[in-house]
Amino acid sequence: MNRRDALKKTALAFGAAAGTPTLLSLLQACAQTDRVTWTPQFLNEDQARFISAFVDFLLPKTETPGGLDVKADVFIDLMYSKTYDEAAQKQVVADIEKFNADCKAKFGKVFAELSQEDKTACFKDQEANSPKFAPKVWGTGVGPQEPVGFYRSLKSTVLWAYFSSEEIGKNVLSYDPIPGEFRGCMPLSEVGNTWSL
Amino acid sequence: MANFNIDADKNLTYDAIVIGSGISGGWAAKELCEAGLKTLVLERGRIVEHVVDYPTMTLDPWEHELRGGLTPEQKAKHPKGGRSGFIGAMNEHFHANDLENPYTEVKPFLWVRAHQMGGRSLLWGKQTYRWSDLDFEANAKDGHGVDWPIRYKDLESWYTHVEKFAGISGEALGLPQLPDSHFLPPMELNCVEKHVKERIEKDFKGRNMIIGRVAHLTEPLNGRGKCQYRNRCDRGCPYGAYFSSNAVTLPAAHATGNLTIRPFSIVQSVVYDEKKGKASGVRIIDAETSEEIVYTAKIVFVNASTLSTTQILLNSTSNRFPNGMGNDSGELGHNLMDHTYRVGAMGTVDGFEDQYYKGRRPNGIYIPRYVNLKDGPQSDNFVRGFGFQGGGGRAGWGAGSNQEDFGGNFKDGLMKPGPWEFFITGFSECLPYHENQVYLNKEVLDKWGQPTLSIDAEWKANELALNDQARKDAKEMLERAGLKDIMEFDNKHEMGFGIHEMGTARMGRDPKTSVLNGTNQVHGCANVFVTDGACMTSSSCVNPSLTYMALTARAANHAVSELKKMNL
Repeated sequence: MNRRDALKKTALAFGAAAGTPTLLSLLQACAQTDRVTWTPQFLNEDQARFISAFVDFLLPKTETPGGLDVKADVFIDLMYSKTYDEAAQKQVVADIEKFNADCKAKFGKVFAELSQEDKTACFKDQEANSPKFAPKVWGTGVGPQEPVGFYRSLKSTVLWAYFSSEEIGKNVLSYDPIPGEFRGCMPLSEVGNTWSL
Repeated sequence: MANFNIDADKNLTYDAIVIGSGISGGWAAKELCEAGLKTLVLERGRIVEHVVDYPTMTLDPWEHELRGGLTPEQKAKHPKGGRSGFIGAMNEHFHANDLENPYTEVKPFLWVRAHQMGGRSLLWGKQTYRWSDLDFEANAKDGHGVDWPIRYKDLESWYTHVEKFAGISGEALGLPQLPDSHFLPPMELNCVEKHVKERIEKDFKGRNMIIGRVAHLTEPLNGRGKCQYRNRCDRGCPYGAYFSSNAVTLPAAHATGNLTIRPFSIVQSVVYDEKKGKASGVRIIDAETSEEIVYTAKIVFVNASTLSTTQILLNSTSNRFPNGMGNDSGELGHNLMDHTYRVGAMGTVDGFEDQYYKGRRPNGIYIPRYVNLKDGPQSDNFVRGFGFQGGGGRAGWGAGSNQEDFGGNFKDGLMKPGPWEFFITGFSECLPYHENQVYLNKEVLDKWGQPTLSIDAEWKANELALNDQARKDAKEMLERAGLKDIMEFDNKHEMGFGIHEMGTARMGRDPKTSVLNGTNQVHGCANVFVTDGACMTSSSCVNPSLTYMALTARAANHAVSELKKMNL
């Protein structure tokens, strides 16, 4: 995407509400495709590049911000750093290394360096072979749960990192921190996007 | 309302001592203080002042560095409580530290504890239902356990008394098995819940699907605000809209000028005076200094929460009570009950794609018990019954994790609400079995060198048969209601997951087979009262907290009247 297109799309997506910092970060994100532009707290540069590429491919920028625009990759690194214990940290590093090694074996390059076609083939393969999450009722899963594996687990983490961001939670989804009332039935058209909270 | 009097050490003598400040302890404090008794509330944990000490109450996910994630240090404090699935960064500070407060699972048992002023009243589910004579007569009729020493008519006016002050929202329906409360206006069902209700009530005679009856204000009451539908209750409510000791009973007790609350007070035992033949006070250990202090009072209310209450009584030994206070019968610690948890069915509902809702309602639907009623169908496979909680809503972006898709269209699709989903999950009654028990473990000591509890309890054939029927019925109801992609489930959770521990110091008519009398007084030590879940003689399938409130108010007023008559 060139800078002119980025400006146009940004203006469309955010209207007058778009603040300067957001705009700047969007432009910066466009300029960087092959190196990490942030300083990871936990991951090394190659692992961080993998996370950024995964985020960008799963949730690319469209009319709405992409995963990189809301720094989902930065948050995931922070989460690995501060919410994972040592064993979980070791595991996630091993999982990233294995994912990249599998990409190399199959496509000749690590994930971040693959073409769009190869990334698509890689994700399709992962989707077909990753078990699903059991549904949850009040915080606990119901029914049998086999391990979902690294791909689906990371996918779920990326979705969380994206949708729990301020940009998406406040400006893209329908944000209503203090509803004040409960209306059991109303036209979806009056709400628009899904509630963020 | 701020500034509780916490200067307990100025005065070691009170009219009344209440051990614990959760749902039942808060009610005991309010009733005793309002009757003019100088009352000391002993709280194991810290002071949690309404609003002031709710640090996360308004935080959006992005306002918390880890967006609700727990650090490894936080997780490490909750190896047991964490199993509940309820502990996150927004409420972790209201959950007890399992490492400082160990217990031993002889058989798997989840014990969720909240060690601060207000206890689990800050975290509870707020479902509030009256019990009926179906429950109070059950033991006498089918011979399990011992007979309750009370009936519905003994509690009826006390239910009304606590409901008027607590604020209970719901719809009056005149169901005999689930008596109506004194209600504030009910919350609303959403489109799909209304639809499922119509189908179930049409297809299944004698079954009702109602909006949950809850301790949430739907109208302002006594200076408390009404529910704002944020569904962030477990962080503490800035409006005081749901019932907690912190927002409701303790401020009322404080307003009398008769309340002293002492935080960091771990009760070691209730002290028995052999000469006078009654309790003289309570021995505590200061959690911060480890200093031992004895407070004296004319009456003692033990409201430490079911298992902690029994732990204190077991630890309160004397020449008169060598096996624990009130344990002449040998039943202290026995007959532990809970409700079964997480058995039911879920599915999706078509036809309401253009409909949505506004507000995050902290409540769901309830299907009252319909099996083994007086005039209804009887089962050959089990005694007693079950009810269902549940609810409907539209899937959010979280559903994206399982979708076999990715990329720009995938992302933009997740901005719109997904399919309508609906579920029900059963809560089955648990019979009182003598062998389901807790006992003191002197090998495993807590941080303060006190003996801990070993818990040895399990579901038996009747509970498993009830669950089996609940699962089948759930599936059948959802099928007949026209749901799709129906999945039935039975997680087979161990006892404790219902977080409705009941029994271990049961009420009864006969001191030979029970620990408490019909006004919750310890047999053989009439100035000690137990009115939390420990006192329960059976478990019903109905949520118990409202009944604890009513029993507490009744017992406290009895205590005051007996004190006036110089009987205690």
